Amino acid sequence: IQTPSTVLEEILASLIMWFFYTLIPCLLIDGVAILPAPQNLSVQSTNMKHLLTWSPVMVPGEIIYYFVEYQGEYESLYMSHVWIPSSWCSPTKGPECDITDDITATVPYNLRVRATQGSETSAWSTLKPPFNRNSTILTPPGMDVTKDGFHLVIKLEDLGSQFEFLVAYWRREPGAKEHVKVVRSRGIPVHLETMEPGAAYCVKVQTFVKAIRRHSPFSQAECVKVQGETLPLALALFGFVGFMLILVVVPLSIWKMGRLLRHSCCPVVVLPDTLKITNSPQKLISCRREEVEACVTAMLSSEEPFRTWI
Amino acid sequence: MKAQRVSLLLVAAVLLLCSVHARGLRRCLVSMDMRHVVESFQEIKKAIQAKDTFQNVTILSTSETLHRIKPLDVCCVTKNLLAFYVDKVFKDHQELNPQILRKLSSIANFFLYMQKALQPCQEQRQCHCREEATNATRIIHDNYDQLEVRSAAIKSLGELDVFLAWLDKNHQENSAA
Repeated sequence: IQTPSTVLEEILASLIMWFFYTLIPCLLIDGVAILPAPQNLSVQSTNMKHLLTWSPVMVPGEIIYYFVEYQGEYESLYMSHVWIPSSWCSPTKGPECDITDDITATVPYNLRVRATQGSETSAWSTLKPPFNRNSTILTPPGMDVTKDGFHLVIKLEDLGSQFEFLVAYWRREPGAKEHVKVVRSRGIPVHLETMEPGAAYCVKVQTFVKAIRRHSPFSQAECVKVQGETLPLALALFGFVGFMLILVVVPLSIWKMGRLLRHSCCPVVVLPDTLKITNSPQKLISCRREEVEACVTAMLSSEEPFRTWI
Repeated sequence: MKAQRVSLLLVAAVLLLCSVHARGLRRCLVSMDMRHVVESFQEIKKAIQAKDTFQNVTILSTSETLHRIKPLDVCCVTKNLLAFYVDKVFKDHQELNPQILRKLSSIANFFLYMQKALQPCQEQRQCHCREEATNATRIIHDNYDQLEVRSAAIKSLGELDVFLAWLDKNHQENSAA
């Protein structure tokens, strides 16, 4: 016979048992499947383009997405709870993020990344130390030096609106003065100087980023030379000689061609030597009177086969 | 002969004094690339100014306060107004929209950078605050305090274009000193 108290006890015991049964799987899951936070955060920055990278989280299952947030020095000093989601990487798939559009002031920025997989979220991983864009690596810019006739023209690499170029150019001779020109336009050719013939000119260029007040190293100097006045003279002489030759050769060849044409269409028949009558015909037939008839006959007889042959 | 020498010495002394005096009066210019911060503000200007409910009141432009600032007072007023925005305005404003928050962060961090850039001027005592500059700053603070905090903050943010234009005009390297 079961009293109410025993019934209650049984119910309580089964409840406790069920409670623990449900807890065990949760404990198991917690122990094994917490998503690890991304490691090895670092920023590579070249020519004011900043790339945040980290080691990918390798956990089998669904695709892993990463969320990147940043905080300028202002936020870290005055409102430390405020973190701003990155423009392009909230979320992102790859273990890297172009944070160029986020880092917009020359102050230290805190950056943090976390991974998500399905409904799982990892802890935040923060970049240490904070990143300041004045630590960017500035490289010598690419340049294309050309001569447009006597004009020294340079075309510069387009590195973005934050870059100015300082172009140094000089005449390659001892004691020559170095000129410097500041170029702010991008992508369009810039005229530096009108060159003197026979002289060589050299150009080198560096960038200046006003936002961080830094210069890049200078590029390698490139030199161009303009041909001297002697060449035009030689060309003129050559041209004159050629012209004279043409004056002689052309009529000669025309005349030759004329003769050739005449020969091909209306050839002059030249009698071979054997048929040439060098003496008068009477002399050929130098027959004596007695033999005239014989000669005539001989002539006639010789003519006949000739006639038949014709 | 002696008189000539004395007069030459006097002229030299006067020139020396003038140059020393001029050095002290030289403006402290902090040349900045304002383009990006001006562009950032242009993108959120409409949204910010739309939230301003007190259209017929101004905080920065009372009787053209800023336009009356003399070159000698530029450093002091710049320092004071940067502190006004950094210590007061940005903190008093709570922004929830991520797009606007991004641009405001950009401007606030730029102001912080400009404050750091002005520090050498202060250390070299080239940022002295005269009475006119102090008065102008006080007027702006009084205007701000007369409004309710959130309204004052949003109004001051809406008038950033006035402050940025004034900064741009007064802190150019090639403007006459």
